[in-house]
Amino acid sequence: MRMDAAVQARLDSLYHRLERLSAQFLGYPCNLAFDYTPLHRFLELCLNNVGDPFVASNFGINTHEIEREVIQFFARLTRADGDVWGYVTHGGTEGNMYGLYLARELYREGIVYYSQDTHYSVTKILKLINTPHIMIRSQDDGQIDYEDLRETLRIKRDVPAIVLANIGTTMKGAVDDVGRIRDLFKALALEDTYVHGDAALAGMILPFVEPAQPFGFDAGLDSLSISGHKFIGSPIPCGVVLAKKQHVDRIARAVEYVGTLDTTLSGSRNGLTPLFLWYAITQRGTAGFKAMVAECFRVADYAIQRLKAEGLQAWRHAHSITVVLPRPSQALLERWQLAAQHDIAHLVIMPHVTCERIDRFVEDLKREAGRG
Amino acid sequence: MKEICVVVKNHPGVLAEIAELLARHGVNIEQIAAEGIGKTGIIQVQVDRYDTALSALRDAGYRAMTEDCLLIRLPDQPGALAGIAKRFKDAQINIRSIHIVERKEGVSIAAVSTDRTDHAMRLLKDVLIRA
Repeated sequence: MRMDAAVQARLDSLYHRLERLSAQFLGYPCNLAFDYTPLHRFLELCLNNVGDPFVASNFGINTHEIEREVIQFFARLTRADGDVWGYVTHGGTEGNMYGLYLARELYREGIVYYSQDTHYSVTKILKLINTPHIMIRSQDDGQIDYEDLRETLRIKRDVPAIVLANIGTTMKGAVDDVGRIRDLFKALALEDTYVHGDAALAGMILPFVEPAQPFGFDAGLDSLSISGHKFIGSPIPCGVVLAKKQHVDRIARAVEYVGTLDTTLSGSRNGLTPLFLWYAITQRGTAGFKAMVAECFRVADYAIQRLKAEGLQAWRHAHSITVVLPRPSQALLERWQLAAQHDIAHLVIMPHVTCERIDRFVEDLKREAGRG
Repeated sequence: MKEICVVVKNHPGVLAEIAELLARHGVNIEQIAAEGIGKTGIIQVQVDRYDTALSALRDAGYRAMTEDCLLIRLPDQPGALAGIAKRFKDAQINIRSIHIVERKEGVSIAAVSTDRTDHAMRLLKDVLIRA
């Protein structure tokens, strides 16, 4: 089919604008360094992963087999003992929604507790699934305030406790201590409990750091969500959700229409994104991801050093690639697409961020402050 | 008359900014009151076109809250919100949500929503920002 000149021009203009914006991308956790050229031919197919990837479907043009391998990879990373189930989601929010939905189904009377530093989408989800919730204050470093959590749990000991733990907060990269949360449950003799982990970005970082920080199923999670387009990188947003199989089995629903037992949230699901994740996992392997994480830490430390040299209080958590800095001007925030909250902003040192990009950012900061 | 509560960064002229914004959207203000809590301002407005006002404020980036959520002021310390949860438990009021709106200078501002707003209002009289 021939393309109209106006359509061509519109596409060219859009592409160039997006390309230009990508070169200044520094504030959001999306890895732009990926190459899926060998997979381009799959765009010619009508892939649809409708249904549970672990159950045979009548809709055959799917990548379920690949999806299962992706889930198994993440199950190993998150130290699941083998008895977990999961699927490739459309992003971290769907994974969080699944985890909280599962918890709500298991404990209809439960209350969800989550920290002040939790991603805004969680409040949206809680409204959607109509579940009572109480926000817990955060510590200055972004972790949940365990004392505040304990006091609040103590008041509601007769009600099932569902905690959304941040495995890397959005603004500061702080990791809530899942073991400590479990200890609080124990100390308060709470029996009906559930912990979901939002590990959007850090879920692909913590498995590759030493000494390992407990964050997975071995630390006491019941389910967790990790983004795929963040650290791994994908042209289409995606993620994975993993949950203990015993929980999922309790809410399984038969969907005869597609001849499958569907426990996923959506109907039609993307068949291409599992392929992207599988390809990246296969190409890079554990050693490749470990090297990527180490390089991100190196560039993050370089950024901190450069910012400190300019008199700015820049810092990061030991196992985080999020560099926190004082909020710069609005113009700078927009130019470098930085996320800001109150008095702080952050740089997210993803694999595509180089020292050269940091230098350009710092020069821009200096120019603005009249020091360049 | 329904009321909207807007949480803002306290600065000179903020009241006028909100009034102008609402006027631009054809909303008449019946009553407006403001209270400053350190660097945070709480503006309470009663308007004739509730939904229009609410969406105009939200679209402009203001934190606007509907009247079914109660704004309270507490000391910013661990366990303060737990104390509020206990009051509800003792009074057998179900909590829909409690979330922290702002924490600054030793004060925490929280929004509380329950299944019995009138009763909750009486229960929180001593910490309520708006009545």
